[in-house]
Amino acid sequence: MLPDDALDRITEGCRTIGKICQSQGIQQWEIVATQSYGHSIDIEAGKIALAAGGGEGGYGIRVVEDGRFGYAYLVDLGSADYAIKQARDIAKVSPSVKGFVLPSEQTAKEVGGLFDKNILSIGPEDLLEQADAILSEVASLDQRAVVTGGGLGVGASATAILSSEGIESSGVTTSHGMGIQVSIDADDELTSSYEGDSSSQRLPNVPDCIAVAVDWAQKTRGPIEVNTEAHDTPVLMTSEGFSPLFSMVVPTAVRGDRLARDESFWSGKQGEIVLADDLSLIDDGRMEGGRSSSSRDGEGVPTRRQTLIENGRLVGSMWSTRDAAQQVAEGRIDHAETNGCAVRGSHQSPPGTGCSDLQMISSMKSSSQDALLERMEDGYIVHSVMGAHTANPTSGDFSVTSSTLLRVEGGQVLGPVKQAGLSGNLAKALSRDVYLGDDVRIQGSYSSGNMHLPDVLLMQGLRINPA
Amino acid sequence: MVMSASPTDEHRPSTGRYLDQSKIQAALDHAQDLGASYAEVRLMAITDSSVALRDAKLERAIPGQEVGVTLRILADGAWGVHSTTDLVSLPSQIESTVRLAKAVAARRSSKDRPVQLAEVPILQDEIHWKPKQDVRNTDLQTKIDHLNTLHNSAADDDRIISVTCGWSDEHLHTELMTSEGMNRVWSFQRSLINASVTGRDGGEVVSYRTRHGGEGGLEVIEACDLGALGDSARIATLRLLKAERAPSGKLPLIADRDLTGVYIHEALGHPCEADLVAAGDSCLAGKLGQTIGNDIVSVVDDPTIRGGYGAHPIDDEGLDTREKNLIKNGVLTEYLNHRESAHHFGITPNAGARAQDGLHHPLVRMSNTLIKGGTHNDVDELMEDIQYGVFACGSRGGQVDTGRGSFQFAAQEAWLIENGEITRPLKDVSVSGLTLQILKDVDGLTRDARLAAPGFCGKGQTVPVGDGGPIMRISQALVG
Repeated sequence: MLPDDALDRITEGCRTIGKICQSQGIQQWEIVATQSYGHSIDIEAGKIALAAGGGEGGYGIRVVEDGRFGYAYLVDLGSADYAIKQARDIAKVSPSVKGFVLPSEQTAKEVGGLFDKNILSIGPEDLLEQADAILSEVASLDQRAVVTGGGLGVGASATAILSSEGIESSGVTTSHGMGIQVSIDADDELTSSYEGDSSSQRLPNVPDCIAVAVDWAQKTRGPIEVNTEAHDTPVLMTSEGFSPLFSMVVPTAVRGDRLARDESFWSGKQGEIVLADDLSLIDDGRMEGGRSSSSRDGEGVPTRRQTLIENGRLVGSMWSTRDAAQQVAEGRIDHAETNGCAVRGSHQSPPGTGCSDLQMISSMKSSSQDALLERMEDGYIVHSVMGAHTANPTSGDFSVTSSTLLRVEGGQVLGPVKQAGLSGNLAKALSRDVYLGDDVRIQGSYSSGNMHLPDVLLMQGLRINPA
Repeated sequence: MVMSASPTDEHRPSTGRYLDQSKIQAALDHAQDLGASYAEVRLMAITDSSVALRDAKLERAIPGQEVGVTLRILADGAWGVHSTTDLVSLPSQIESTVRLAKAVAARRSSKDRPVQLAEVPILQDEIHWKPKQDVRNTDLQTKIDHLNTLHNSAADDDRIISVTCGWSDEHLHTELMTSEGMNRVWSFQRSLINASVTGRDGGEVVSYRTRHGGEGGLEVIEACDLGALGDSARIATLRLLKAERAPSGKLPLIADRDLTGVYIHEALGHPCEADLVAAGDSCLAGKLGQTIGNDIVSVVDDPTIRGGYGAHPIDDEGLDTREKNLIKNGVLTEYLNHRESAHHFGITPNAGARAQDGLHHPLVRMSNTLIKGGTHNDVDELMEDIQYGVFACGSRGGQVDTGRGSFQFAAQEAWLIENGEITRPLKDVSVSGLTLQILKDVDGLTRDARLAAPGFCGKGQTVPVGDGGPIMRISQALVG
């Protein structure tokens, strides 16, 4: 899948651009390069719709002179001179941030589990076989069930970074992922569920998420009538239902620059209790096999595992080099420095600040879903929400809709509810009476990184509005 | 590994074309020799720039050039696709992509319908929508000056703690060659400016976003009174600091142009996409010709509205774009389609294919979607017989489950309506419902329909869209 010389070629490309920067006497420069290849299969209407493959890549150039930075990107080494000129021109009109310099080289230990050679050998035919296996599994679990959309894919990415400050690093990561929408359209009722899984290691041919998708499409059939007005109630959010809201709101709130600028609902609360006092929030940039982990962050700084909230108390925040220098220079904070939290979308953007593999854990014993339901007594289980991206990361307020929820009474599932609104403030809902399940699952994110979350029982702060 | 074309000072390759036509034609012929019934090469070159100011200081400015090309081959009734930034390698991918398509076809059962394409006019031409002021010639300082104008008015209050202003522009150049002989080139530009305003009063923190943009160059930005745009964002932010949580329940709702646009985009537009209908993932399957809404509801999707953020001259399968009448007086009259879905349903292709860029294959997408105007004169007339309801304005986005036909969209701000009059400001208003119910519950529209703020639509791929309409009243909506 990935050409044998891909890493060498982008590393050499970085060196070529670096030499041009050097020859032009640029004070500080940083070159990043990515080259990705992959195969994918789209599934529609219960059959394989298309098979695709390909690759893309390019270079990003950051120049820093007297605390001013400029950025440009390119795909062709032949246009490096032009891109460097653009980056320098931009730097000239950028504000000088006192103390902003590119990070120096520091030794970084490798993170294991980010590469699986078995993925490199997966070809289109293998993916087609896997797609067939998934379609067969869905049909065998429920003859009415159809995979109406989604797909699967494998990829390999070579990345490299080279800077005037001595940073030179490169590596290859792999990925294998899938996401499928299973629908059951029978007896004038359509129910569906979307589930997915991804890993840097080769996934099983039929991952557990396939059965989960069928299960939720089945158990949301035959909705019961809920004759109540909107009311405050405990809600057990599955990892899948909770993660989109959590990832939209929480990672942003612990960014150092947002905290310093009063743009976080936790601004001014450093050292104070902000979550239920058994909860901790940890950003682990070094998690073995972590989908967002690596030995170095987006600007070459060694990553680390760091506690942001410990037993409910806000004790840390996430920083990249420029954000830290800027907030100090502007007098918003006395001291800040990068802690390896620079993230990049691709070579097309300079680094910003964000999380990698983010975990919320509890010092209390985790519970099975049955135990959580027993604690909840009356309420709802919410497995997916629509509109999580409309949540307000500045305030933590949200108002979303779910069509994948179950009514619970006396600790027992009464039945599915066709549709309901769910609203509240996530920061307040997490501030007390929060109970975690015992099965942590890895989810994607609306901001950066990956979320490692179990089912979460929120006993207060949420309102359900049944349709 | 990477493509060999470089930008020139004139922003275009010296030949005017990125693709070597003779080599691509030979590659397409080769695909047919190998058994492809159809093959296409679509290249998109994008020259873009983005600029961000945070509290009036330049945060970042990123100029970029990217070129991507996608080879799409139909063989034995199935698709194989190859995408790359390496133009030179494309001809060498023909054989493997034909094999890919045939491998997909081999796994289909005899009851599966093979993919076929509806016939379309085969054209060889170039269409360039020239901007009045080519945005590629706009220097960085001019962009910063415009952003500062927006910032200065948005930030003009002690309770405004942060204003982030953004600019983005792009010049899109597309080349399409197919085995049928299509050989078309088209280009156009888009420009956008936006602001995100954060306000704080004690422990209360709120934010508000505003946007202006459309198809075209610098003239799009200069047509906007940026001071007024910033003023309205600041005023809305300050209002949100005093706003109450919205009531929950089924209530009469009035939506401004922004929300009307998002509503019709989510509730109707997506379920109208024929690829989703064909996939069994639309609540509008089998409903062509049926009454699905109140007879005052007529909806169009029109990529030919110049200046709309979703405007484009040619779709990504090479068809001239045109207006699509999705609903006429409450009756579902047309799906948005591409060539594959048009053939599937035996309907006329209506140029609904769009791809995010040169590295993605085309899907059925919306462009500029709006409800046509009604008979009410203004919002006061819509409100006058509402005893208790909500007037919701500005969009924070929305989402739809096209299969179930359920949707959600969120407002940036709102007001309570009591006894026909606006009373208190509200925040965190979202609206949800079922497409097939709520289209019938639209019971009032003002006369003046037009596109509202520009937006982006995600469907695995992200494309710019314009949405809008008149001010709309819904007799009963689930407000949360």
